[in-house]
Amino acid sequence: MKFKIIYSHEIVESPILSTVILETGVPINILEAKITPSQGEMIIDVPVSGEELARVLEAFRKRGIEVREVGPAIEINRDKCILCGACVSPCPTGAIKLTGDELKIEDKLCIRCRACVYACPVKALTITSEGSS
Amino acid sequence: MEERGAETLRTYEQINEKIKRGEAVVMTADEFVEYTKQYGLEKAAKEVDVVTTGTFGAMCSSGVFLNFGHSEPPIKMWKCWLNDVPAYKGLAAVDAYLGATAISETRGIEYGGGHVIEDLVSGKEIELRGEGWPTDCYPRQYIETTITLDEINQAVLVNPRNAYQRYAAATNSTDRILYTYLGTLLPRYGNVMYSGSGQLSPLYKDRYFETIGIGTRIFLGGGIGYVIGEGTQHNPKAFFGTLMVRGDLKQMSPRYLRGATIHNYGVTLYVGVGIPIPIINMRVAETASTPDEEIYTEILDYGVPSRSRPVVRRVSYAELKSGKVEIEGREVVASAISSLTYAREIAEKLKQWILKGEFFLSRPAQLLPDKTEFKPLEVKRYEPRVRDVMTRSIISARPADDVKTVANLIVKHGIDHVPIVDDEGKLMGIVTSWDLAKAVAEEKRSLNEIMTRRVIVAKPDEPIDVVARRLTQYRISGMPVVDESFKVVGIITTDDIAKLIKGRSSG
Repeated sequence: MKFKIIYSHEIVESPILSTVILETGVPINILEAKITPSQGEMIIDVPVSGEELARVLEAFRKRGIEVREVGPAIEINRDKCILCGACVSPCPTGAIKLTGDELKIEDKLCIRCRACVYACPVKALTITSEGSS
Repeated sequence: MEERGAETLRTYEQINEKIKRGEAVVMTADEFVEYTKQYGLEKAAKEVDVVTTGTFGAMCSSGVFLNFGHSEPPIKMWKCWLNDVPAYKGLAAVDAYLGATAISETRGIEYGGGHVIEDLVSGKEIELRGEGWPTDCYPRQYIETTITLDEINQAVLVNPRNAYQRYAAATNSTDRILYTYLGTLLPRYGNVMYSGSGQLSPLYKDRYFETIGIGTRIFLGGGIGYVIGEGTQHNPKAFFGTLMVRGDLKQMSPRYLRGATIHNYGVTLYVGVGIPIPIINMRVAETASTPDEEIYTEILDYGVPSRSRPVVRRVSYAELKSGKVEIEGREVVASAISSLTYAREIAEKLKQWILKGEFFLSRPAQLLPDKTEFKPLEVKRYEPRVRDVMTRSIISARPADDVKTVANLIVKHGIDHVPIVDDEGKLMGIVTSWDLAKAVAEEKRSLNEIMTRRVIVAKPDEPIDVVARRLTQYRISGMPVVDESFKVVGIITTDDIAKLIKGRSSG
C-alpha cells in the first residue's frame, strides 16, 4: 500500500525512514520525495499488510511523522480519453491495460513515474495530488 | 484480366437503389471478415453490397481553410493568429489556412492548430489577431476580435494526407527513452507503438484502389466529406496509399476531430475517417475480407535517426492488436497511438447512416493512381560530414594503462578526450580530463576503474548538423568516430565544429 509521510520542521533532518526499515525489517520503497528546509514529504510503498503494516505505520507515528493513505495515483478523465493506447506500452510496470473498450490502471503496480501522463496525447490522465484522500 | 474498377457484381446505381428501398446489405469490415471466414468469399460477395471501414488516428497533414469575412474598415491580413497559433496568410485578404501542426507562439506545443480546430468545432470562441498590409482598398493595419464557427463564412477541412493504408510500427534499441510521432518508446526494445486500424483500415479494404477515387463520399470528422485525390506521399505499390480529403467543418463533431500533443514531439489532429467500400467485383470483395492476420507491416528501430530505419521484424496487425509482440525471443508490450475503439465506432456509424438511407455511395469521377512512387529528397548542396572535420591523429590508451600515463598524454597533446581501445583498435571506453581529475581526487590508479564504457560515438558519414545535436543532447564536448567494426578512426569535438563554422562565415 502507498502512503504519504510528512516530516515536520523539527525532525526533517532525522534519518527516520531508514530507522523504521531497520527496526521493522520491511523493505519500504520510496516513490517520491520532496524535502525543503521546513518540511519533508515522501510517497512510500509499504509491501506488507495487516498487523505488519500497522507495525510499520506505528513506527513512523511514534517518531512524530504524519502518515496518510494515498489514493489512486492516476485519474482518468473518461470524457477526454479516446481509448488509443498511447499510455499502455510506455508504462514501465505494466500497470495500464486497454481491454476491449475500457482503460484500466492497476494502482498497486503504479510507481507514480508519470510516463502515462506525458504519453497521453489528449491530456486525459492526471496524477493526483499526493495524499489527498 | 478485367479493368480496375469493373462493376461486375453490382453497380453503384443498383446499390443506391437498394439503399433507397432500405434493402441494402451493409456490414462493417470487422463483420465482413468474420462472415467470410464462416461462409466463404463467394457467398459473402454475393450477399453484401457495402462494407464500411474506419480509422481514427493522428493525421498531421490536416488543416482548415477559413474565410473570416470583411471588417469595417477592411483589412488585407498578411499575418494572422488564432488563439496565438499562426495561420498561413499567403492567400486573399481574409482567407487563411490553419495547419494542424502549427504551434502556439505563447504556449508552445501544449496548444496548436489541431486544438484550435477542435475548439472551433466545439463552438468555442477563438481569438483572432491579424496584421494588415495597408493599401488604398484595405486601409486597416491591425485587427483583434473573436470568431466562432457559426460566425465565419467558410471553414473547410482540407487534409493533404490522411488515412494511410497501413503504417510502420516503432521500437527503440537505444539506451534512452525516445519521443517520436508514434509516442513514447522505452529503451532496449521496451515497447512497440503502432498506428492504423488493420482490417478496418479504409484503404487496405480496397487495396488496389478500385472504388476509392476523386469524388468518393466518405465519413469525415463526424460529417460528410469527399475524397479529392490521392494524398501526398501516396505509395500504392508498397501499400502505403494515402488520401486527400475535404469536408465542411460546420457539419463535423469534436468527437471525431481531436487536437493532440505528442509529448516532446509536437501538435497534431486526430481525424476520424470512414469509407464505404461497394462490393463491385470479386477482387474488391477479396481485399475487403482481408483479416488482421494477413495484413503485415514492419517494426522499425527508431533508435537509428535516419530516413531508412532498420527493420526489426515483419509483424501482422493481429499480433500488434494482441498487445504482445515477440522481439529477439522476448515478449514486448505493444500498444496503438490510434484508437481502435473509435475506428470501430466510425465503421458502425457509417453503416447505420447507409441502412437508414441517409448516406448514398458515389462513383468516383476518377480512380486514384495505383503506380505512383514515393521519392526521397536528395540534399544537393555540399554538407560537411564528420570525416571532413574530425581529427584523424588519435591519441588513445589501453584499459590496463595507469592514470598517470594518460594524464601525461593529455598534457603533452593538449587534448580532453582519450579513447580507450583494445589490441585491434576497437573502442572500449573513453576517459576525459575531468575523469582524470576525479581519479586523482579519489586516488584511483587504473583506467579500467574510471573509464566511461557506454560511449556516445559518431560515424564518419554523419552530417555535422546531426552530430552537433547529439553533443548538446548528451552535454558532452567530444566523441570518438568509429567505423563499421567499431574501430576508432578519429575524434570530433565542439572545437572542430566551431572551427568549421568560423571558416564558413569568413568564406
